[in-house]
Amino acid sequence: MKAECINAFYSATQDVFNLMLDLRVERGDIKVVEGLVSSRNANVVLGVTGDLKGSILFSFTQDMTLEMVRIMSGLEMKTIDSFVSSALGEVANIIGGNAVTNLTNHNYICDIVPPQVIIGEYQSLSMANKKALLIPLRTHIGEFDINIFLSESQ
Amino acid sequence: MMWKERYSIGVELIDDQHKELFKRLSHFIQIVQSETNWEDKMDDVKETLDFMKDYVIYHFNDEERYQEEINYPDLEVHREAHAKFREGINDYVRIFDQGEFNEEKIKEFAAKLMAWLIMHVGKMDQKIGEYVKEKGVRHNES
Repeated sequence: MKAECINAFYSATQDVFNLMLDLRVERGDIKVVEGLVSSRNANVVLGVTGDLKGSILFSFTQDMTLEMVRIMSGLEMKTIDSFVSSALGEVANIIGGNAVTNLTNHNYICDIVPPQVIIGEYQSLSMANKKALLIPLRTHIGEFDINIFLSESQ
Repeated sequence: MMWKERYSIGVELIDDQHKELFKRLSHFIQIVQSETNWEDKMDDVKETLDFMKDYVIYHFNDEERYQEEINYPDLEVHREAHAKFREGINDYVRIFDQGEFNEEKIKEFAAKLMAWLIMHVGKMDQKIGEYVKEKGVRHNES
């Protein structure tokens, strides 16, 4: 996977977190993982179609998810209900939209399929055991991951 | 408090409407997220929802008129963004009209509206403010 694909999603995440949540995002070391597997509570899967095909998985802890929605709404959130999961899905959707715009600058024309929010630990979102890249990310309210599984369309 | 000072673009008419939008949306979210029984808060939800969707349209029209007045170069791009925003709202209005007026769908809608509004005001509308400052545009806000 080319570096521009990773950077497109990383920089879109930085921009959207800064703008919507007033949060600075720092990146850890990228790892290669088997399939899209999450060990966190709140997951959002975005499908990518077009010149690049595949999925992006955002994984957050419950605490971080609730805090993100608190920052946006100004209200304390107690549980991940449909308000919280919809807000999380929309943040990921906006990141995806911005990433697709970034990819256009590298001559990749792609589209984002509406997000699917999956609540619960240890969800295995297997991609037939193919390899994905995991970007660990840090903010002052918690850590989260982005798994990128993309390949160039034939 | 949803409104943040950094959302200000320095144009009183637009900033005031943005503040009102955030205030109403915040009220809407509070009702939707309150622990009151759904049947008991349904009238309140309907009333706020009606106000919100009308006010968003009213605000977009005012904002577009202002952009015309100042010859804002990205007016068409901004119009398209407003059209997409309106379409998003109308999709939900259709869903509600077709009978899916339930707590889950209303919560989903409130969350999306919040994200769209923060993103639109926090990013796209800021460019109007930058243009106004850069060009030293005089405001005609009457």
